[in-house]
Amino acid sequence: MPGSPKPQVTRRTFLQAGAALAALPILGSTRSASSQTAAKVTKVLDFSTGADLAKAEQEGEVIYYGHDGEAAIAVLLEAFRKDFPKIKTSYVRLQTGALYAKITAERSANRYLVDVLQLSDISPAIDFQKKGGYEQYASPEYAGYKAEHQSSPAGYYGWGGVSFAGISYNRTKVKPEQAPKTWKDILNPSYKDGISAKLATSGMQHAQWYTLRKLYGNDFWQEFAKQRPKGFDARAQLFDRLSKGDDRMCVLAEYAGYTLFAEKGADIEFVAPPDGLPATAFFIGVVNRAPHPEAAKLFVDWALSKRGQNVYQNQKILLYGSLRTDAGPMPTGKRLSDFKLLFPTDWNDYVASHPVFVKEWNSIMGL
Amino acid sequence: MKHVERARSWRPGPRLVSLVVGGAAAVLVLYPIAYLIQASLSVGDPQARPPEAYGLDNFLGLGRYAHIFGNTLLVAGVATVLAIVVGFTMGWILSRTNVPGRAAFEQLMAMPYYVTPLMGALAWGLIGSATSGFVNQLWRALGGEGHLIDINTPWGIAWVMALFEGSVAFVMIGAVMKSMDPAMEEASQVLGAGRLRTMLRITLPLVLPGVLGAAVFVFAEMLGSFSAALVLGLPNRFYVVTTAMYQLVSQYPPRFPTAAAMGVSLFAVMFVMVWIYRRIVSGGTYVTITGKAFRPRVMDVGRLRWPLLGLCVAYLGVAVVLPVLTIVYASFQRLTTVFPRADNFTLANYVTALSLDAVRSALWNSLLLGLATASIGVFVMGFLSWLIYRSRLPGAGVIEYVLMFPQAVPRLVFAFGMLWAWLVFPIPIYGTLWLLLIAYLTVFLPLGLRTISGVILQIDRSLEESAQMCGASWGYRLRTVTMPLLKPGLVAAWLLLFIASVRELGASILLMGPKAKVITPAIVESWFSTSSELTAALALLQTLAVAAALAVLFAVARRTVQPGGE
Repeated sequence: MPGSPKPQVTRRTFLQAGAALAALPILGSTRSASSQTAAKVTKVLDFSTGADLAKAEQEGEVIYYGHDGEAAIAVLLEAFRKDFPKIKTSYVRLQTGALYAKITAERSANRYLVDVLQLSDISPAIDFQKKGGYEQYASPEYAGYKAEHQSSPAGYYGWGGVSFAGISYNRTKVKPEQAPKTWKDILNPSYKDGISAKLATSGMQHAQWYTLRKLYGNDFWQEFAKQRPKGFDARAQLFDRLSKGDDRMCVLAEYAGYTLFAEKGADIEFVAPPDGLPATAFFIGVVNRAPHPEAAKLFVDWALSKRGQNVYQNQKILLYGSLRTDAGPMPTGKRLSDFKLLFPTDWNDYVASHPVFVKEWNSIMGL
Repeated sequence: MKHVERARSWRPGPRLVSLVVGGAAAVLVLYPIAYLIQASLSVGDPQARPPEAYGLDNFLGLGRYAHIFGNTLLVAGVATVLAIVVGFTMGWILSRTNVPGRAAFEQLMAMPYYVTPLMGALAWGLIGSATSGFVNQLWRALGGEGHLIDINTPWGIAWVMALFEGSVAFVMIGAVMKSMDPAMEEASQVLGAGRLRTMLRITLPLVLPGVLGAAVFVFAEMLGSFSAALVLGLPNRFYVVTTAMYQLVSQYPPRFPTAAAMGVSLFAVMFVMVWIYRRIVSGGTYVTITGKAFRPRVMDVGRLRWPLLGLCVAYLGVAVVLPVLTIVYASFQRLTTVFPRADNFTLANYVTALSLDAVRSALWNSLLLGLATASIGVFVMGFLSWLIYRSRLPGAGVIEYVLMFPQAVPRLVFAFGMLWAWLVFPIPIYGTLWLLLIAYLTVFLPLGLRTISGVILQIDRSLEESAQMCGASWGYRLRTVTMPLLKPGLVAAWLLLFIASVRELGASILLMGPKAKVITPAIVESWFSTSSELTAALALLQTLAVAAALAVLFAVARRTVQPGGE
């Protein structure tokens, strides 16, 4: 265009542009970090929230992606709706792997459909945090939790509740004197072809593999493979089969599943080996670019509050032990502190071990 | 004025319309397939979209899953043979013989399809599991040891798959048999051939396209079958391609590239099947509907009709009555056992099932989608069948290959292609019922095509040519000659599409949005995460809803066609 100044590319401008480009990710994260605004904290019902309740109600909806079963999610969302009738709820339920795949595929296509994400495994939660998927929101309810039960840095996701697993057996199939007492007892050849575990390679199964491997060495699970365990996707299936005697023993017997089926009259027993019970949490956070940001914050605050934790902990279909420092006992009368829980001690090592776990576990399960 | 006259006189030619419809259908199929192939070639971070690097590693690594491919072919092969035997036998009995209660049985034959393989697998799991199966519990109570049957074996899985796909084969083969002029069978008998010889030498060859079409279709269905293998295979560490892929994509991190490579490798199998089918139908003439008027008549099979009646009753017994009764019984139990106890009965499963908002809306959405898929699909697929087999359009064969693609890919994997494809599509239908409608119309193209094309191949071209000689335009010929003759095939296709949509699982799991849920994934999910008893209640509710919807639709249709009914 005649007369218009011609842009000159000098070495200086070239380097400046390069530096600016290189700084983009940092700038991006800075912007993200700055989005952690010091929100005004208000008291709603009996919990604190940084969300603007009027705006949340105006948004009128919260969309939740979670890993729990349909019936469990229905109970959770119903409890929230009861407290906030002006906010509708809808959800997508998938196993953590497929759920994470769905949300990452959506975001890669710039579709932002979800407000709150709850995952059963820390590995995808960390990955999602790295990808800038979470909104950094310092829920005032984090005050009720230890720092170690929050993301690092804080504000991306919180540990909403704990599930833990021992051994369970069918009393009609296993005599009391033969019953397993320790983790090493699951290697007893008399149980061959009669053992079940989870097929999933995330969450609790990874935690169990990791913690017992640390305790008993790398060969432990190779020995276990000789038992030809059967793998299933969810704890309900494990206990369904155990209750009917299709399997004699379940080696990933989540306490929540045990109580649910024992209450139904199943003739099953729960064993807490003295070395401890592998445990893992679920991780809940507000998603970045959520379509209903205030409702999302309100939901997460509610979920982490004593009020929400009562739902997670007392509804038997959920039965997650609360990590709140002021949490009461579970409906069984037990507290988390009554169990010797085995959490991974080095989370980086735990996350790094995941590929090895997937390979070994699929092989053990015949996949 | 000239423009108006020109516009009025302009009619889209058959080639143009065919190209547009065929092209649109091909795009519908190829668009997600392209994403699937892209994923199968991804060798970088398995979660990265678009892929970071390309290569053949995923295909080269499939060798370690050879046993799973072997399992799949074994189960699919056995189940197809069983299903075709069931479909052909029942089709012959109910279309060509004077077995008592023929009309009623014909209606009842659709029941296994309503019952669905998922419900069948759940029921047969309760009936035939080695330890807790009802049959084996009774066996041991009577003093037996071990187990009498074990449904958690490849044979058990094939048995269940065949029971429920047998009715699909019946509908496809039966539609062909109904359209057949009985003169040839009568001529055979006049010349001294017995009933069996006539059936094998005359009836079977004449309905060969229908049988082959059904065999190709059923085999592909079996390759992509998911629920029976999931419910019955996992307890025995027995994986087929679909269940292995499901695990691969459900695990963290999901291994899409490996799963996609598995799916894409099934294309080869499907290509061979379609090639064989086309070779056979192009090698002979199967015309049984000609310009000569005929009235379908049945053969008098004498006393043989009682054993044949027994066969019909036995099939419906094991495919419908036994599974449904088992599911009804289980749905009222706290923990299912064959020996009833008063304290074990409960209504809690129904209370829970009906209290789930998502289930209620999912059921409604499923029925709505079934109606839309069947009604739109039957026209589109009817036209596509005509285009492939009658239009003489260059490239019609290629279009058939393309449209059969969805059959070769398990729907769960196809759904990933659709997920990626429609996510980036500029029109925002992702997460809505519209996407599910498009998905169903795409994945059920082979079902509609196979059902309708079996009948099309039986219609003598001379009928359309006669109409053409009389001056009828191609559209008029299609409307007044071809379509009425296709009516049995179209009705069968509508029914199959409706039921297939309502029971669809693989594609729906991933394409459902928070406000666009459908029922079958909820049932499977319930099996994963609650109990067999609640799952039984949900499955029964689904079946009842489908039955009620069909009853209403049939009543409305009957009233509409009756004089004064309008």
